[in-house]
Amino acid sequence: MHSTTLKRYSYTLAIPGLLLYILFFIIPAMGGLALSFVKILGFNLSTARFGGLQNYVDVFTQPNMRRAIGNSFIFALITTIFKMGIGLSLAVALNRKMALTNALRTIFFLPAVINTVAVGLIFSSLLHPSNGLVNGFLRTVGLGALAQSWLVDTNLAIFSVCAIEIWKWSGFTMVILLSGMQTIGREYYEAAEIDGADGFTKFKYITFPLLLPAFNNALILSIIGGLKVFDLIQATTQGGPGSATEVFGTLIYKSFGAGRLGEGCAASIILAVVIAAIALPAYKYIANREVEM
Amino acid sequence: MRRRKRYEAILNTALCFCALIILIPVFMVIINSFKDQTEAAEMNLKLPTTWHVFENYKVMVREGGILRGFFNSTVITVICVLLLIILCSTMAFVLERRKTFFSKLINMTVIFGLVLPLQIIPTYFVCNFLHLTHEIAAVFVLIVANMSFTVFLYSGFIKSIPIEIDESAWIDGASHTQLFFQIIYPLLQPVTVTAVIINFMAVWNDFGISIYFLNSARNYTLPLTVYNFFGNHNSDWQLVFANVVLSTLPVAIVYLILQRHIISGMTSGAVKG
Repeated sequence: MHSTTLKRYSYTLAIPGLLLYILFFIIPAMGGLALSFVKILGFNLSTARFGGLQNYVDVFTQPNMRRAIGNSFIFALITTIFKMGIGLSLAVALNRKMALTNALRTIFFLPAVINTVAVGLIFSSLLHPSNGLVNGFLRTVGLGALAQSWLVDTNLAIFSVCAIEIWKWSGFTMVILLSGMQTIGREYYEAAEIDGADGFTKFKYITFPLLLPAFNNALILSIIGGLKVFDLIQATTQGGPGSATEVFGTLIYKSFGAGRLGEGCAASIILAVVIAAIALPAYKYIANREVEM
Repeated sequence: MRRRKRYEAILNTALCFCALIILIPVFMVIINSFKDQTEAAEMNLKLPTTWHVFENYKVMVREGGILRGFFNSTVITVICVLLLIILCSTMAFVLERRKTFFSKLINMTVIFGLVLPLQIIPTYFVCNFLHLTHEIAAVFVLIVANMSFTVFLYSGFIKSIPIEIDESAWIDGASHTQLFFQIIYPLLQPVTVTAVIINFMAVWNDFGISIYFLNSARNYTLPLTVYNFFGNHNSDWQLVFANVVLSTLPVAIVYLILQRHIISGMTSGAVKG
């Protein structure tokens, strides 16, 4: 019996896919770990020599590298808080029957399908210090004092980039939460209404606990996505001005461009460890608090 | 009841305000792509005094490599999506049904790719070592980058297909390839639609991987043409805006036609949990 099962589901079918995965994911993952301990010039393997922890020491001691690690965390934290907050508010507001719902859902989701480079350019223009629409608007309503060099000011740039990410992905978070809400049965709310619960009580004791599975997924996606960010920053500031918006992704790209491949691999390994260390326990912790349906 | 109506009105106004935050930037880009250089540099919401619709877009198509980019994006996306569907559905089927220790271990390793970032520099090494051309390397890496999620999606669905179907087909004398392609694969159609949408969006809009591999005007995809055009023409805002419009248009049209499928497809993996 068992041998028929094995014959029925022979690996031959899966081999092409597995081969690609091994070749372009497993081997690079292990190779990356090996390379992170090696000093190497460009792609010439004959120049490679064992460097011990030197690459890691370099990553942690160079100031713009430390900046990159800090920025990645700031970016992940801020974008996650706002995406979840805005996404949840929009989902609550749209989770009812009204004429506008469909149109608004389509509009809010729109930024998620626009490619990141286009979004980056749109905001490079909107946040332009002298002519940009954002500063223009602030000056028109008499808040000219608040006008800033959004993407150029070294203290502000990282927050401006966060705002762009929030603009792009809040609608996506909203849809995840909205679909989660639509699986909650009406009878829970009806029972609560009989007991005299008001809107907020219903949200706190019914909507939110039953929404947790979808909420967790959106949260984890957002944290991982935030730590991994590369394309948005490359499309707007390229890590600049100076190293003001440097993150893991731009750092790896720069060490790749400069041929400091060992350092790039070390930064990449650190990122992988950080992501695993945050994503797995966070997921376990929140999963334990889910309500059984 | 009256209080409720007032509350609804406030809520709707707030929602429409939020919609404007999305729509105004989009409008700004479109309207400014019709202006001349001086007016476009002001980047405001006024209508153009003289309309330069055809000039700007003609220049853009001629100099921005938009047609080439569109062709490259289409070829790369079609190849990646087709291969992802075939490779991942077969992988998920075998790994999900075999239920041996070894197959479970492999399945876990594949799912691990959901969390761990792709190690891009060593991947480049591998492609270099295999003497792959840039285009082929990009296709392979884009496939692998989206593989874990697609396998995950298929596995979840295959679990719900009763194993008795396999058994009866096997007794009727189907080979293992016939069993998969003639019996199981047609049943996977709903999840295949989702997988096509997710992977189409991911590959078509990809920038983070292709920037490493596609490095000449000949093989740029649409996002890369936009990125590189801005690098060289950052004072010609009217052309940059036209470029943004043209590169976004194909996916925006697809989105408006298939919005319901795209919205549920792109978020489905995150909703089920």
